Amino acid sequence: MNSAALALNLNAVLPELVMVVAAAIVMLLDIPNRRGRAPTKAWLPWVALAGVLVTGAVSIWLLGQPVTSFQGMAIHDERAQALNLVVLTGAALSILLSVRYIPTVNQQTGEYYTLLLLVSTGMMAMGSATDLMVVFLALETFSLGLYILAGLSRKSLRSNEAAMKYFLLGAFASAFFVYGAAFVYGATGSTRFDLIAVTLFDGKADLPLLYIGVTMLIAGFGFKVSLVPFHMWTPDVYQGSPTPVTAFMSIGTKAAAFAAFYRFFAFALPTEQATWGWALAILAVLTMTLGNLVALRQSSLKRLLAYSSIAHAGYILVGLATATPAGIDGALFYLISYAFMNMGAFAVVILLERQGEMDADGERLKGLSRRHPQLALIMSIFMFSLAGVPPFAGFFAKFFVFAAAVEGGWSWLAAIAMLNSAIGAWYYLRIVVDMYFAEPADAAQIEPQQVSLPLTITLGVAAVFTIALGVLPSLWTGLVQSGVVSTLALR
Amino acid sequence: MALSIPYLLTIIIFLPLLGAAVVMFAPGDRTKKWLALATTLVTFAVSLLLWTNWQQGEAGMQFVEDAVWFAPLGIRYALGVDGISLFLVLLTTLLMPIAVYFSILYVDKRIGPYMALMLLLETAMIGVFLALDLVLFFVFFEASLIPMYFLIGEWGGQNRVYAAVKFFLYTFAGSALMVVAILIVYFSTGTFDIVALQSTPMPVAVQTWAFLAFSLAFAVKTPLFPFHTWLPDAHVQAPTAGSIILAGVLLKMGTYGFLRLAMPIFPQAAQQFGPLLATLAIVGILYGALVALMQKDLKALVAYSSVAHLGYVMLGVIAMNAQGVSGSVLQMVNHGLSTGALFLLVGLLYERRHTRMLDDFGGLWASVPVYTGLFLVVAMSSAGLPGLNGFVGEFAIMLGAYNYMPIFAVLAAAGVILAAWYLLTAFRKMAQGEITNPANDKQHLKDLNLKELVMVVPLVILFFVIGLFPNLFFDKINPSVEAMLETRTVLLQQGAAAQMPSLELAEIVVTEAK
Amino acid sequence: MVPTSYYLILSAIIFTIGAVGVLSRRSALIIIMCVEMMLNSVNLTLIAFARQWDNLNGQVFVFIVMAVAAAEVAVGLAILIAHFNLSKTTNIDDVNVMKW
Repeated sequence: MNSAALALNLNAVLPELVMVVAAAIVMLLDIPNRRGRAPTKAWLPWVALAGVLVTGAVSIWLLGQPVTSFQGMAIHDERAQALNLVVLTGAALSILLSVRYIPTVNQQTGEYYTLLLLVSTGMMAMGSATDLMVVFLALETFSLGLYILAGLSRKSLRSNEAAMKYFLLGAFASAFFVYGAAFVYGATGSTRFDLIAVTLFDGKADLPLLYIGVTMLIAGFGFKVSLVPFHMWTPDVYQGSPTPVTAFMSIGTKAAAFAAFYRFFAFALPTEQATWGWALAILAVLTMTLGNLVALRQSSLKRLLAYSSIAHAGYILVGLATATPAGIDGALFYLISYAFMNMGAFAVVILLERQGEMDADGERLKGLSRRHPQLALIMSIFMFSLAGVPPFAGFFAKFFVFAAAVEGGWSWLAAIAMLNSAIGAWYYLRIVVDMYFAEPADAAQIEPQQVSLPLTITLGVAAVFTIALGVLPSLWTGLVQSGVVSTLALR
Repeated sequence: MALSIPYLLTIIIFLPLLGAAVVMFAPGDRTKKWLALATTLVTFAVSLLLWTNWQQGEAGMQFVEDAVWFAPLGIRYALGVDGISLFLVLLTTLLMPIAVYFSILYVDKRIGPYMALMLLLETAMIGVFLALDLVLFFVFFEASLIPMYFLIGEWGGQNRVYAAVKFFLYTFAGSALMVVAILIVYFSTGTFDIVALQSTPMPVAVQTWAFLAFSLAFAVKTPLFPFHTWLPDAHVQAPTAGSIILAGVLLKMGTYGFLRLAMPIFPQAAQQFGPLLATLAIVGILYGALVALMQKDLKALVAYSSVAHLGYVMLGVIAMNAQGVSGSVLQMVNHGLSTGALFLLVGLLYERRHTRMLDDFGGLWASVPVYTGLFLVVAMSSAGLPGLNGFVGEFAIMLGAYNYMPIFAVLAAAGVILAAWYLLTAFRKMAQGEITNPANDKQHLKDLNLKELVMVVPLVILFFVIGLFPNLFFDKINPSVEAMLETRTVLLQQGAAAQMPSLELAEIVVTEAK
Repeated sequence: MVPTSYYLILSAIIFTIGAVGVLSRRSALIIIMCVEMMLNSVNLTLIAFARQWDNLNGQVFVFIVMAVAAAEVAVGLAILIAHFNLSKTTNIDDVNVMKW
């Protein structure tokens, strides 16, 4: 081992470091806020937001200078930065949603923003981890934070219940994950992805042990991204958690876990692609089909979005199952599109909520267009985008992922996924129907306490990017792939 | 020669979009209405530049624009117009001001969104006809769903929500598999370019699957029997202007898709499935006509007549010979004009009497002669009376069908007789006989006024122009059609010579990808 | 020397007991304990493999797992207490305000 390998290149973890510093600053700023005196409380969200934005700037600055450090345990390449940007988008928008919302459920906003930033740090670390130990650490960092955030509303039984379910099932899944990691280590003698790949390539690995381990790892990852059959927690936790947390969870967890998922399979198991590609394809089919079918029957908006998020996890998994660079880039585009459109949908849910309720029934959308035409219009954009109708981001998200699938010889998978998106169109359309064509229910009034400038900004940003990415997808791909020669370039 | 007007096609496509934005933010309903009308009229005027600057005899694409849209997948923003698409574009830009003007006279509910949606729809429709890239085509194709969905759902009749949802889901589900097919085509040829694809050979297995997926999408849109069930619902429930556009233009996107994409890009598969599709077209012609015969609702009658008429268009397209295809192109325009006019007249009557039931009418000759006279001309045009536009198109299609398979021509001729039957029956019930209902007499029922004539008369004039001087149109259509057929023949011969071994689809895609 | 497989079988047995406990016990407190048991069996597995491969990765991993397990218990008990304060129960069959 030479000294160069020991030298730490901190660039590899610079975004995470910046984020931790931001979290620490928020924590320190919160110290004087005690017993009714809250001199700095109003600043906290903005400091947190500034931290997120600075981290984003650092990530963009690091684009095009890939770094491996910590003796191959972490890598910062374009994909890691892209993942960072997805997570940071989710974090930034969810901070904006929280400004007015969180004080209504918990007065300890300092803890909330600190935790949110630390959770984001864990998620970003997932994307750059190239060692099972680091993956496990990052996974637990963000999971533990999310357990607490889910239970943030301590006076609400639902919120506590969400935290409890999330924690118990999450801890259970973590145990499987780490047991799987132990088996992979046992089969190959290393936890580092590249060394695992070398052992496999040399034929020295104990394959039965490896397969047991990988199966358990898939269960662990699958739990985090709510793949069927590991999805049971999703609707309850989504429904019970404070809505900004739910929104952040739906984007950040998915992005982080998929990133690690991809790194592990692509870096550590390139030789076993045929085997696990099929496993992932089957999981993808199950996930999207069940998610879509169950979503048809939901009345709570947050549960509906929970099942829809399960379905979207299935679509994203299609990109991973193909295991081509195009599939991964497609999945990343999917994640960023999903971040905007889903964040927007949750922002609308917040507007429809009643004080302390933390959920809105689908009934409340009825006749929304009469009273709040702009809001209904924006919600329609998100719904059509989630359904995958052009010219919105959701269309190209699906198009890129399925293009990779067809290219990789998975045409049947792409066909099933497209049929699924036609099923999905049904329930997204139902929301639009309710908003525009149903008789207004009494409840269709917005609770004024949630209307605020930050929330309006969130809605605006989400809508603008949902359209912009649908019209000019190269906005994103041009940003994150500057430096990567896409394998799909014109032949 | 002002051929060098830069970005002419882009301007035509996006002028309405710009107009929609302006209309949304304009103050006052009156301003909104007239701004919308002005937008459609300007768009129409600009689109006439296509006609005046046309390079006569040129078979290929004209006014071509080409820019990179998404480089990694080779998706291009490519536009162009040839003899096949020219008249569909003009049809669209012509029908839009008429539909908008009708709405100005008779629509009062939430006029701002209504006009904005109409203009959005125009953008999407023109985009479909001008796109030269499969992805761009698909984006416009799907984007047209959203405005139409809202137009039916918000401004439609009694059962509008059901009709709107059915319309959206049918067409959306129908085109779902087309996305996959587009991708399969891309990865086995390396291009989304519609023109290049027409001369690119493809393995038969790929052709078969892709053709079926494309056909499903377009068959739902056209609609081809048995995928037509959404159409009567959508038509009957849609507001009049929506019906005009739906019948006049939107349905043409399906037949245009067959003509531009499915048939020439997958020639072998098209040949293989041709008889099946032709049979469906014939069933559609006869079924549509028979059901139309039994309708009591005038609008439903016109809706079913569309099923029948598009059967003819499909028959000509499937025949894939010069007469058939040229006839189809002209017949698409004819159907747009005459069915548009029929819906317009039905709408005008409905606004007066608030009923469309044939039994409620009778004796209109005596009370509203101008209206009735125009109705007769339009009905005759729709039925294919010689001297009017419908005859020219149908005759060419029959010739084409006869050269393809004589039996289809015979059956289609039976459809013509049925068409005359149901249209004349409807006319008899409406116009002739005694005035049985006092609401239909001279005192209560007003004849068409000048404002309304402005909408109908241009269409009627066009009936005669097309009917008497068809070569004015065929001159522009034919070169493109012949060139397309020639390319197709070459491709077919190559295919026959190569005799691609029929590999499994997945294998081909894999090998192509590598 | 005791073969590695013996350790693996033992840890698999402990892991299974823990997993079955999580699935069958109704008290949230006991479930947390069962999860801890699963994590500890993983530690045993890791140490056994570390000895078999004769490197330190496994040993290091064990420390990480222990640290995480401690953090997990801290968070878990806090959630449990918060929930108990509201619902006065630790029986997870009563955690059913929302349908599972």
